[in-house]
Amino acid sequence: MKVLPTLEGGLCILPESDADWLELELICADAGRSSHLAESLADLMDSDSEWEQYVMPDLVQSFSSQCRYVAAAIEDARHKNEQGVFIKPSQVENWYGAINLARLSLEARYHLNAIDATDDMKPELRSAHFRDRFYLLLQSMILEYIMDAS
Amino acid sequence: MSVPTPTTEKQQKTKTQKDVPWNVVVLDDPVNLQAYVTLVFKRVFGYPQERAEVLMMEVHTQGRSVVWSGGREKAEFYVQQLHGWQLQTKMEKSR
Repeated sequence: MKVLPTLEGGLCILPESDADWLELELICADAGRSSHLAESLADLMDSDSEWEQYVMPDLVQSFSSQCRYVAAAIEDARHKNEQGVFIKPSQVENWYGAINLARLSLEARYHLNAIDATDDMKPELRSAHFRDRFYLLLQSMILEYIMDAS
Repeated sequence: MSVPTPTTEKQQKTKTQKDVPWNVVVLDDPVNLQAYVTLVFKRVFGYPQERAEVLMMEVHTQGRSVVWSGGREKAEFYVQQLHGWQLQTKMEKSR
């Protein structure tokens, strides 16, 4: 898989195999239910704020929408046999948000930050570790080439 | 006939409580990137790069940072914005 900056100020992800496409599709699978993050954020607020009633639904909607956009963009590119998946500057927040949801979800599930990557990791954990590293790389490129640049 | 003075006292108390500033506190987490947190502070509060970086480093090194203080409604607005950017944020009454 290659990731290249585009002339219009975005990025193009170029999957080179079915496994690469699968890896991209796993972003939204890893993100899981958007309500998890919204609920944990609402837990930080006191009951007077009525966060769960007034704010949480909007957050759930926003996070779900980010994942739906990214899933559709990947599916569309693959279905149309396009060479790559484009991250346009106008949609960068959807991409960054969905990838961030995936990383937050992996961290909550596997506590990747607290473990050392070693050869004797269980396959499921190793797979989660490498997906997290791939997502981190994508986020870093999105920040450098699109978000910071704008 | 006596003058009902307690009403005045109650109003003063309520006003004092409303005037207590609220802190918007961002908590550290192992996922959000430093450059991203800095960028969010710049976008949400309009802080210059240097101030945003100082606050981000405070979050990173001390586990939390008071990134804004003021009225409750505005504080809630900022927390909502920061939650939308997926940052762990809460509100506290200023001491």
